[in-house]
Amino acid sequence: MDKYQIIVVGGGHAGVEAASAAARMGAQTCLVTHSIEKIGEMSCNPAIGGIGKSHLAKEVDALGGLMARAADEAGIHYRVLNSTKGQAVRATRVQTDRDLYRKAIQKFLNDQPNLTIVEASVEDIVIKNRKICSIVIDQGQQLYGEKLILTTGTFLGGIMHTGLKQKPGGRVGDPPSIRLAKKLRELPLSVGRLKTGTPPRLLKNSIDWSQLSPQPGDLPTPLLSYISSNTTRPPQIECFMTRTNKTTHQIIRDSLTESPMYTGIIEGVGPRYCPSIEDKVIRFSERDSHQIFAEPEGITSELIYPNGISTSLPHAAQEEMVRSIKGFEEAEIVRPGYAIEYDYFNPTGLYHSLETRCIEGLYFAGQINGTTGYEEAAAQGLIAGINATLSLEKKEPLTLGRHEAYMGVLIDDLVSLGTKEPYRMFTSRAEYRLIMREDNADMRLTKKGKQLGLVGDRLWQAYEEKRETAQQELLRLSRQKIIPETKEAELLEKETGEKINSPKSLKEILKRPKVSYTDLPGQLHGIHRSAIDEIEASIKYAGYIERQRVDIERLQKNENTIIPDTVIYENVVGLSNEVKQKLTEARPQSLARASRLPGVTPAAVSLLMVYLKKERKRKAG
Amino acid sequence: MTSTIIAPASAPGRGGISVIRLSGPLAVKVGEALCGRLEKPWKLKHCKIKRKDGNVIDTGLVVFFKSPNSYTGEDVVEIHSHGNPKIVDLIVEEGVTCGAEIAGPGEFTKRAYLNNKIDLAQAESVADLISAQTEEAALAAHNSLSGQFSSDINSCIDSLVKSRVYVEASIDFPDEEVELAELAQTRSEIKKQLDFIEETLASAKRGVLVREGFSVVIVGPPNAGKSTLLNALAKKDLAITSDEAGTTRDSISVNLNLGGVVVEFVDTAGLRKKPDNEIEKEGIKRALDAVQGANLVLQVFDVTKEEKLDVFEKETVTVFNKCDLLDCFPEDSLSKVFVSSEKGLGLDRLVDLVLFKLGVGEETVLLSRRRHVTCLQDCVDCLSSSLSALDGEEGLELVAENLLAAQKCLGKITRPVSSDDLLGEIFSEFCIGK
Repeated sequence: MDKYQIIVVGGGHAGVEAASAAARMGAQTCLVTHSIEKIGEMSCNPAIGGIGKSHLAKEVDALGGLMARAADEAGIHYRVLNSTKGQAVRATRVQTDRDLYRKAIQKFLNDQPNLTIVEASVEDIVIKNRKICSIVIDQGQQLYGEKLILTTGTFLGGIMHTGLKQKPGGRVGDPPSIRLAKKLRELPLSVGRLKTGTPPRLLKNSIDWSQLSPQPGDLPTPLLSYISSNTTRPPQIECFMTRTNKTTHQIIRDSLTESPMYTGIIEGVGPRYCPSIEDKVIRFSERDSHQIFAEPEGITSELIYPNGISTSLPHAAQEEMVRSIKGFEEAEIVRPGYAIEYDYFNPTGLYHSLETRCIEGLYFAGQINGTTGYEEAAAQGLIAGINATLSLEKKEPLTLGRHEAYMGVLIDDLVSLGTKEPYRMFTSRAEYRLIMREDNADMRLTKKGKQLGLVGDRLWQAYEEKRETAQQELLRLSRQKIIPETKEAELLEKETGEKINSPKSLKEILKRPKVSYTDLPGQLHGIHRSAIDEIEASIKYAGYIERQRVDIERLQKNENTIIPDTVIYENVVGLSNEVKQKLTEARPQSLARASRLPGVTPAAVSLLMVYLKKERKRKAG
Repeated sequence: MTSTIIAPASAPGRGGISVIRLSGPLAVKVGEALCGRLEKPWKLKHCKIKRKDGNVIDTGLVVFFKSPNSYTGEDVVEIHSHGNPKIVDLIVEEGVTCGAEIAGPGEFTKRAYLNNKIDLAQAESVADLISAQTEEAALAAHNSLSGQFSSDINSCIDSLVKSRVYVEASIDFPDEEVELAELAQTRSEIKKQLDFIEETLASAKRGVLVREGFSVVIVGPPNAGKSTLLNALAKKDLAITSDEAGTTRDSISVNLNLGGVVVEFVDTAGLRKKPDNEIEKEGIKRALDAVQGANLVLQVFDVTKEEKLDVFEKETVTVFNKCDLLDCFPEDSLSKVFVSSEKGLGLDRLVDLVLFKLGVGEETVLLSRRRHVTCLQDCVDCLSSSLSALDGEEGLELVAENLLAAQKCLGKITRPVSSDDLLGEIFSEFCIGK
């Protein structure tokens, strides 16, 4: 009989972060996966990061997680998106080599003390007194665990669709989890179906690359992790772009009678922001072209991932559609695209710790909570791993505020509002975008991570160095001045066109939109890019940051006012029935969370505040 | 950090004096800005109440209650001015300029309760107060503003959301080819909204937004004493009355001043299912038309008869008339009043209830307008900053930041911001697919 403190089911991006975090914090951890060699597989596009997502990946990194480091070990093409805009919305995106990524993740896990990896499929979970007890793996063997983290991805009741054909599966070549899905459906959780899709994979040398426009990577390479170095990375390559055309769209329209989406076979709700090419053509019928990024799946891989034409049309139609595209005239489909439907549980059934409200010790992370995306999964996996471990010793869970991290926004959105479509992060979901940047995830989180035992020496050192450098530089910039008609003033004007009419501190000068840190005299050589970003952002956004800080402080009192689970909203005097019903359904755990629910007015919050105070006094006697 | 709040603390209406209360960490600072140096705590001081520019608003008294020994438990400054709603409004305005915020419904009492200044038994009454004042404020907002105003604000919000869609989309989906031309168009759209809000602000300051008056329509079955009620309220014989049912054939209106607010009362022909003739039929039609345009309906019955209630889609108060014919006077409620127009009994309570239902006292209206002026002013500031961020190429994220702040300001007047609305708009507007 095997006994662990934490059992993690699933070897995807949520599962590996959960297992790694728990083991880093010292818990005896077991990762159960149906296929050890597929741990860390990127089932969809071969890229990490992007707007909102790189923020998450870097936050995971700042807490000692694996994703960003693995991406750097496998990165073959880097770009900073929004580079013409300000720091707050810049985002790194890395094309990765699928094999190298998987290998990097597997190496991290193999090197991790306290972690056992078991290859098996999970048949059942055993619950006693509404508490997790053990799991049953194949051949009826039982694994005991105090806490169980489920990260089942698209495997719960997974059905894959290509054309009108369907077959059960969690991913190409992998069987779904049917029995586990059935078991979970018995729990008092609200279950739903979601849909996602993937494009056909094309054979690299069947594409006429001369017809595609190249898109080089950025230099110097903007690494994703705060502690990656340039030495371990594979060679860098170019990506390419092409477009669909009128013929492509006509082919798609002619094939809709064989589309599982448009014939009503698929009931699951798909994401609005990652539509299949069928969706794009129908919903945006006025556009006669959509862009496609031809992304290599790896350095040695023969496969190309045509990003932008996710589809579930029948194989023949996919081929015809692909071949109507410039450069793809002779393209061979190695594996057709497909849509996949799977079970998810509405995350309103969770606490902010990601523990289910109905079963003690059971945690959910990743697509099972209705999210989409590797980074969203990794972030939840990390938080679930941390909180499961903290609860072993009955410690308070780690809940990050909406002003502290995108991870906080992600989990608060999910748990407070639930989701009806696959949830993806966008920067516009964050109220405090200027404070939560990808350059300062470490400044926001690494100290917390250190206290929790998640952060290794290298990250801690890098963090301290950067913090110190930034502090000292900020001090220097506020002291050092440029005097008019000096060499320095002339140089600045030449570089930026900015005139200095009276003595100005470097800090004041850096406030001007056109001036950047590297235009200033006396810059530190070898200073880390993210330290520069930190310096620039804290100067350029100063006024805004102050305003947001005041906002946050004001809300803090409400954040700290806990609403006990036992509140009966029916008894709160003065609340309208609509508000009572909303609160009863959502069961927010703090006053601030209650106030963010749609329809909950400031007056309702006041009434609730008075009621809570009254209850506290009554209990105190 | 707690905010500092300001609002009149005395009952609305024209009394001898009004008390404006400030509470919170900035109470002293704001109080001194208005009244000059304060005396030591709990000591009244005679003062000139001035604006920043030195203009005197009023002369009055000011007193400082030092935390924790004050009504709310915070630093409190109370300013006693002459009892004129316009003066009170000016003082509140100046307080807001100096950093205070207009208090929310029941907020002083709420703070008192949360700071243990009032006991458990009073908790219920705090809740009641919050509910009542919220309703009152909502009614005031609803009644004091022309319908045009809120629909203008809403269309301005729509337009801001549209601009935000472009800005946010080009931030969150930079690969998705949001055209530069669309950004240029966004600029002119923001400018248009800025001009519009500035104009609205100017007219709000002039007071144009406050409705000239309120309309209360008196309806009911024939011979319930509607005209007698009108005459009693007006304290003179305006309408011909008689014991004969159907004496009033046409609608008669009169403007009455109730506690400083002008209210138009309309007396109408008695309603019955089967009119005797064309004239009566026309009278009933006019009565129903008047109900359409009313802020409040008084449905009058003869208390000695059992008659059926009509249901109107308007705020309605039921008035039982001729109560002098009963042995004892029944008790009023929030929607029922018992009066005798003949003997002039219960009319004061009716007037109070009418004012409550209309969401007035003049002060309530002015306060509600002051709130809107503040929101509009903030919105103007945010929109100007977003334009200068756009023109100065300070980064689109700052444009976005200011647009969101602007929308939040307007949201306080009509409908609050929800982040999913924006994403929904983005997805329907753009083909996002990466």
